[in-house]
Amino acid sequence: MINFLQLVKNEQMKLFSQRSTWIMITIISVLTIAFGIFMKVDGSMVAGEVPAGPDWKNELREQNAQLTSQKGPEDGIKYSSLTDVRMNEYRIENDIRPTTYNVWKFLHENLNNISILSLFTIIVAGGVVANEFKWGTIKLLLIRPISRSKILLSKFVSVFLFAGIMLVFLYGTAFLIGSILFGMNGFSDPYLYRQGGDIQQAHVFIHTVFQYLISMVNLVMMGTFAFMISTVFRNTSLAIGVPIFLMMGGNSIILFLSDKEWVKYILFANTDLRKFLEGSPMIQDLTISFSITVLIVYFFVFVSLSWYSFTKRDVAST
Amino acid sequence: MSDPILQLKQVKKTIGNKQIIKGLDFEVYEGEVFGFLGPNGAGKTTTIRMLVGLMSLTEGDVVIKGTSIRNNYKKAVQHVGGIVENPELYSFMSGWKNLLHYARMIPGISKERIDEVVKLVGLENRIKEKVGKYSLGMRQRLGIAQALLHKPSILILDEPTNGLDPSGIREIRSYIRRLAREDGVAVIVSSHILSEMEMMCDRIGVIKEGELLSIQSVESALQQPEQRDITLEVQQRERARKILSEWLNRPVKIEKDSLAFKMDRDDVPEMIRRLVDENIDVYSVNMYRSTLEDKFLDLIGERAVD
Repeated sequence: MINFLQLVKNEQMKLFSQRSTWIMITIISVLTIAFGIFMKVDGSMVAGEVPAGPDWKNELREQNAQLTSQKGPEDGIKYSSLTDVRMNEYRIENDIRPTTYNVWKFLHENLNNISILSLFTIIVAGGVVANEFKWGTIKLLLIRPISRSKILLSKFVSVFLFAGIMLVFLYGTAFLIGSILFGMNGFSDPYLYRQGGDIQQAHVFIHTVFQYLISMVNLVMMGTFAFMISTVFRNTSLAIGVPIFLMMGGNSIILFLSDKEWVKYILFANTDLRKFLEGSPMIQDLTISFSITVLIVYFFVFVSLSWYSFTKRDVAST
Repeated sequence: MSDPILQLKQVKKTIGNKQIIKGLDFEVYEGEVFGFLGPNGAGKTTTIRMLVGLMSLTEGDVVIKGTSIRNNYKKAVQHVGGIVENPELYSFMSGWKNLLHYARMIPGISKERIDEVVKLVGLENRIKEKVGKYSLGMRQRLGIAQALLHKPSILILDEPTNGLDPSGIREIRSYIRRLAREDGVAVIVSSHILSEMEMMCDRIGVIKEGELLSIQSVESALQQPEQRDITLEVQQRERARKILSEWLNRPVKIEKDSLAFKMDRDDVPEMIRRLVDENIDVYSVNMYRSTLEDKFLDLIGERAVD
């Protein structure tokens, strides 16, 4: 076990000795800071607009009247406006006062940065095995009295340890920037979200953490996919390029094939579990348990292919 | 001799339909430098990759210190240190971090041991620098350092002098000799450069097209008191030829303006005395010993036309 921890330590040492890793960290910090400053300066979504005064209930009613009078292109109320209307009604009914913009909302809005994190995870996972082949260092790595399975596992663990570190870093930076720019009030205010037709409320912090975690599902699946290609094809460019392409184009592919019976078995139709919690999934008869089953199957296929390829194949001359 | 440290037993490798290695059998002993010689594409690197577990054996077995790599790879490979082809290390990390990386992979290697090895290969001053800045010679030395970390009983070096300048080659050679002599490490060195092998190795196995053609002991090949090629420049060639062929009881050829024949080195003074007694003036005696290169070319040559 100590041996295994040493291997993971090795992988982390290699990862954090590479300049590209530090570039990724810089990008995440810069993006978070820029996003924070943008939100602060732009202001339209922040303090001013929120009816938080003593007469907030009337203000919300006014807002609703305005929203319902606006007609969408199909002569109906737009979905997003509908959500706002329902939320305002819910606030009035349940006596939940709207809060001004704060660090918790900022954290929640930073959720989208996870797709950048997925991108970085793909880059790391795509390189972790293939680079050793590219650099030729695989030959010195595999002549140690350690089984290949153990080395592979240490690399796999290392990739997601990296993703975890980056997630904490992202969350931490966003928290720091958010609390400086927007203040830490409103921690106990409930967070409202729409699930199907209903408005639900949850604690803002727990809800955000939960959303971050569920967004990680996509990251883990794409990371594992990149890791598999990295191991099987031993080619870094392929292992980074293919998953990124599929991650970007995944939704279009699903949309394009949405009338096919088997579309729900495609990986990308199932990776976004957030859809089950807020809004509705792209494919109609998809359920959360079905999606999770599909994800688990894919995960095992990826891992088995990697394992088989890494432990059974010869390391031949390049 | 004691038990062999490394034993190859009918090792075969087939890739696709092609048999790359056709049954290798040899042994390497403690304190010995074993040369693995063959032209490019003879199967040297494939064999070395099989020895260290990078490639699987199609047939046969490799036994390291009594443990088969088929049955217990981890235990067998514990005794092995190696460089396969070029010493490719992590260029973005310092030499020291590279060594730390490999040290972590085998339990019981202290930081002191790393320092010791660094000193042994003479990299103390540059060890904190990134490997990307190293010269090829320094990288080769770092490669040897990582192979020595766990005090292996057998050191496998694939083309260790590839791409080195003459002084680098001499350095590596002296490391290898010292390791074998002082620490009793068995060393396998592969190369296609003959003169280098002659200077480094105790025994040389010649491989061609996946077959071991012969194993030569370097000392016996070079110092055996066997027949030498002699060319003799004398007056009265025809008379000298007659006298010598009678005395030696073998044919003596006349080539250009000298005589050519084979004889024992020990008999040369006696031959000169006889010629002088017969009043034949001797201008020069040249003696050639057949080098390993000749032997190698003989071995390779006889099968060159397949």
